[in-house]
Amino acid sequence: MQLDCGQFEVLLPDLDRAGTRGPALREAALSHAETCGRCAARLTESESLDFALRSLAAHDAFRMAPPRVETALINRFRLEKGIVARRRLRWELSVLGAAAAMLLVLGLTFHERRLPPAEPKAQLASAAQPGATGVDATDDSAGATYDDAGEFTPLPYADDPDADGGAVVRVVLSRAALVSLGVQADAFDASDNISVDLAISQDGTPQAIRLLSPENQNEN
Amino acid sequence: MNRAVELTDDGLFRRILAGDEEAFTLLYRRKHPAIYRFALHMTGNPAVAEDVTQEAFMTLIRDAKRFDPSRGTLGGFLFGVARNHLRKRWEQDRHSVPLPELEEDLHTLVTGNGAARNGSGANGNGTSNLAHDQVASLETVGRVRQAVATLPPGYREAVMLCDLEEMSYEEAAAALDCPVGTVRSRLHRARALLIEKLRDTPVRLRRATLASD
Repeated sequence: MQLDCGQFEVLLPDLDRAGTRGPALREAALSHAETCGRCAARLTESESLDFALRSLAAHDAFRMAPPRVETALINRFRLEKGIVARRRLRWELSVLGAAAAMLLVLGLTFHERRLPPAEPKAQLASAAQPGATGVDATDDSAGATYDDAGEFTPLPYADDPDADGGAVVRVVLSRAALVSLGVQADAFDASDNISVDLAISQDGTPQAIRLLSPENQNEN
Repeated sequence: MNRAVELTDDGLFRRILAGDEEAFTLLYRRKHPAIYRFALHMTGNPAVAEDVTQEAFMTLIRDAKRFDPSRGTLGGFLFGVARNHLRKRWEQDRHSVPLPELEEDLHTLVTGNGAARNGSGANGNGTSNLAHDQVASLETVGRVRQAVATLPPGYREAVMLCDLEEMSYEEAAAALDCPVGTVRSRLHRARALLIEKLRDTPVRLRRATLASD
């Protein structure tokens, strides 16, 4: 391959450079330099510069950062990686905590759904009406004894026996107190404490009363 | 994964990401001399070169995911980071002037450290000849270093990476974040300038002498 001076000029810096087409065209470049004094001089200058730069590179090959740089960097590496590890641990714990909280919420929700719904309105309404027996599910403290209880009797001064809301409470009253409420309590002694269920309206006023059966009296 | 793969730059990089300290140490020892030399040639100041080298590897520690293997080599990435730090330094401190190190080299030679560093001993009858050669060599090295130091930064970078660190044009382009053609043209102009600066030095004579030997 024949090169002209322009091609030689372009190729000159790459003659010894790997990864370029310089080495492959080196013979052609040298052939051209043999026939062109100007390009021969350029070739000599370029090779001299290559030599000088290689000398500089060889001289500097031993230059490196002092050991303290490596020490500082390794310390920093340990620190940073420690921080990252701690962050990762915190994140994992957070995820674990969130998952546990979610499970708890789901569990509670499921548990609530399994329980019978509270119906205070129906309880009071049914409790306020004589003959009603639907109070057994309203008060956990009453338990199964409510099944055996008698009927609710409206109290004489009950102003709103059909009112919504309210609750049924079990209390212990003296015979005198029962009498004052207009309840016949002849079967009890004056010194007896008598357990009764009171249906109470929303404003706290007793609306109806039910005497517990004698066998349940001792439970309270 | 076999040992050979683990010891490639990419293999070490993956281990570094996983927090492997040994991999970081290996990579540092492999890569830092070139980064340090690059910074030293660009600034002429060993303290700054030390800082820049440290900063380049700190970036690898703190923000390793900035390196994208599909965009270039890890070495190129580190050169690029070092170069950015150098530019920031220049913006902060415009008093940084490259210092020729010829006198330091000569002092090193006189005190005897130079022979050890170059892996040769100077004793017996050959001492004076060897010393003379070394002084001549150091003069050459010093003049070349000075000439390189006075090049414009863009040209100096191209010479540093392509001629002194023997990077390919592609690698240098990745490190300098510019097209391959730009690297090539900068290098050609830089070499032309260096030839001009060194025309009056004994470099060419010495080359001719060695060739004749």
